[in-house]
Amino acid sequence: MDRYLLQRSLAALLTIWITTIAVSMLIHLVPGDPVQIMYAQSQGTTPEELEEVRQRLGLNEPLVVQYVQYMGRVLQGNLGTTIRGEQPVLELLLERLPNTLALAGAALLIACVIGLVSGFIAAYKRGSWLDTSLMTTAILGVSMPHFWLGLILLFFFAVRLQWFPVAGNGIENLVLPAVTLGVTNAAIIARLTRSSMIDVFDQDFIRTARAKGLPKAMVLYGHALRAGLVPIVTMIGLQFTYMMGGAIVVENVFGWNGVGRMAIQAIFQRDYPLIQGFILMFACIVVTVSLLMDVIYAWLDPRIRY
Amino acid sequence: MSVRMTVALTGAILLGIAAPTMADDIVWARDGDIDSLDPHRATSTLSRQVWYQIYDSLLEFNDAGEPVPNLAESWEVADDGTEVTFTLAEGIVCHDGSPFNADDVVWTAERALGEDNPSLTKASWGPITSVDKVDDLTVSFKFSKPFGAFVPFMADQFTSMLCDTNADADGFGVSSALGTGPWKFASWTKGSEIVLGKNADYVNRGRPVDNDGAPFADRLVVRTMPEAQTRVAGLRTGELNVIAPPIQEVKSLQEDEAVDVHVATGTGQNMFLQFAVNRPPFDDARARRAVSHAIDKDMAIQVVYGDLVERQYCPISRGVFGNDPEFCKQYDQDYDPEQAQALLSELGYGPDNPMEVTLATWTGDSRERMLQMIQNQLSQVGIQANIEVMDIGTLNARDTQENNREEGPGYMDLMGWTWFDPDLLYLLWHSPGAYEGFHTPELDAILEEMRSTVEPEARKEVVQQAFKILLEEAGQVPIYTPGWAWLYAVSADTPGFKIGPFNRAQFAAMQP
Repeated sequence: MDRYLLQRSLAALLTIWITTIAVSMLIHLVPGDPVQIMYAQSQGTTPEELEEVRQRLGLNEPLVVQYVQYMGRVLQGNLGTTIRGEQPVLELLLERLPNTLALAGAALLIACVIGLVSGFIAAYKRGSWLDTSLMTTAILGVSMPHFWLGLILLFFFAVRLQWFPVAGNGIENLVLPAVTLGVTNAAIIARLTRSSMIDVFDQDFIRTARAKGLPKAMVLYGHALRAGLVPIVTMIGLQFTYMMGGAIVVENVFGWNGVGRMAIQAIFQRDYPLIQGFILMFACIVVTVSLLMDVIYAWLDPRIRY
Repeated sequence: MSVRMTVALTGAILLGIAAPTMADDIVWARDGDIDSLDPHRATSTLSRQVWYQIYDSLLEFNDAGEPVPNLAESWEVADDGTEVTFTLAEGIVCHDGSPFNADDVVWTAERALGEDNPSLTKASWGPITSVDKVDDLTVSFKFSKPFGAFVPFMADQFTSMLCDTNADADGFGVSSALGTGPWKFASWTKGSEIVLGKNADYVNRGRPVDNDGAPFADRLVVRTMPEAQTRVAGLRTGELNVIAPPIQEVKSLQEDEAVDVHVATGTGQNMFLQFAVNRPPFDDARARRAVSHAIDKDMAIQVVYGDLVERQYCPISRGVFGNDPEFCKQYDQDYDPEQAQALLSELGYGPDNPMEVTLATWTGDSRERMLQMIQNQLSQVGIQANIEVMDIGTLNARDTQENNREEGPGYMDLMGWTWFDPDLLYLLWHSPGAYEGFHTPELDAILEEMRSTVEPEARKEVVQQAFKILLEEAGQVPIYTPGWAWLYAVSADTPGFKIGPFNRAQFAAMQP
């Protein structure tokens, strides 16, 4: 177990390291002079000021030196300041991260409840009309763009019924975006739960449990569900990272003040330090969650070893 | 993720959420956020609109767009034009309770003009040599040479007067902003909302709004909501009072009795075509004129915007000093496709050898549709235009790059600038110019003369000489005004909203 953990942790660190290289070089992917493009909206910025920015960002140095300088700053927790407004990037990201985590967390809760229950029912009633209709709904759910579903929910529940506010950052504002994000991801969990449970239902130990005359509920919940959940747990971890990504779109629709929405604005404004900080933070979250899931998976299923 | 963890995370954000809006609030939703609360650190319209609520300037623009007293009750320009002296009104109080006087004016100006991190619009303040306090209520600005655009600039948001106590406050521009305006800064959650509280002691000395005192509402909440349909939904549910509506929704909002649509006029905004003039084909005035002749500007405007915008004839916008449509019509190019074809054939273009150009603009406000109209009209005379739409930052950089390229297909773009004074022409077209594009030695000389001419009649004459060159040479082809952020949809339940000249939203008389 220790060796496995060490291997996974090293792989995670390697991924983050590669990300830092990509992120530090991001600024050079801009065609033309990146500083000129960054400051294009600031009328009256003189060539001397632009040169000063180049110096400050170390853009005149060789790439290796630039990378070392960048890493030096990052390791000290300094992700730079935004171009628009000159605010510390790390502070801005950390301020908004709880909002995005809350949205992704609430959406995951919704996705799990809907996905697990409907997947389980579909598996149990395999081949029935209920199975078919649940899985058809799931396909619809997977195919629905967040953006579209968000607007539909907005017009129905906020404008027509006025049950929820349209936008904002209160707890009541969390419901519609979380449902939007949760419903589409519930479909994925439902399909996986169904196939995982069908596998389990066909296993010998379930047949044995039934043959022993155990009550049906005990067979289903005590034996089948526990075994069937192992692959689903890992999937749910990955779903969480997908939801963090999906939150970018949903946050925009509902005016939810998370990091995703800030990233979109940063992209439109070409605020490179902020975009770099966002990518780095996002990569760290994805890698950490994946690592956690590997660990949980190994813990749940002792057969998994390298 | 466990249920417990989700509940914990949800709880965590509850601690950081903004207070819900209240009945006596005005909530204004726009598509983007400000860059800074510091008027020296940004230039965007979104930022300027908010500064205007927090800060006053020495002067104001009246409904006719003329500078009038505000914080300064009077001003005097020396005969030789090299000194302007302002006398401040008595009893002005900053948001922190400190008196506003000549020290604050000097502090603001020195901060904007200093060597260390000056204002982004430092150049627009003119050739200032010193800013001196004469006494507590008198300040004098001295210039190395006369500068005609200075007085109206003192009514602009870029010269918002800051209280010198900002120097002692932590985080000026981000978490603090002390001014003398009708609304006091309370908080800014970047990307989400800015909360301003009523300045209960406010005395309106020059703002063109029907309220001489403090705003009627308790708070003005400025929300960032990028998704246009969400803003419309919020207006319809009453959650929002004022929104920036998407153009395609304006008609249905105008028909809605619960909504008043306000269309800003006299914004100072000007939408025009400009060209990469340092290589063929647009290094030749005939090619530029051909493009201008080929476009039926009135028709294009009507199809895309209906009556939401006006035709623009002059290189500076309607409502700005010197604008005179009748004068400009003498020198611009009428819609005349035959003339366009004749010019093109003089240049060697024809059905077998069509002119190929790139036609660019920036995203939003139905500009892409406008380009499609222009593209279609250009194709009628044999010009093949390829449309490119990008964000404004990229477009600004691209224009400069295109002017510095010696090879490649022709390039032109639909650009927009706003300014309250013809001094804009200096910024755009005096060599090297904002985009290092069109300029001539004759125009340079005229624009320099324009800057140092103070007497209005004489200045107007010089401004018109510049118009003549720009229009005849088709260096700048004016098309319409306004061009961005000029529409406001307001809930009919909260009357009293007004747009002042140069697109200044006034909330002080709004009844929450």
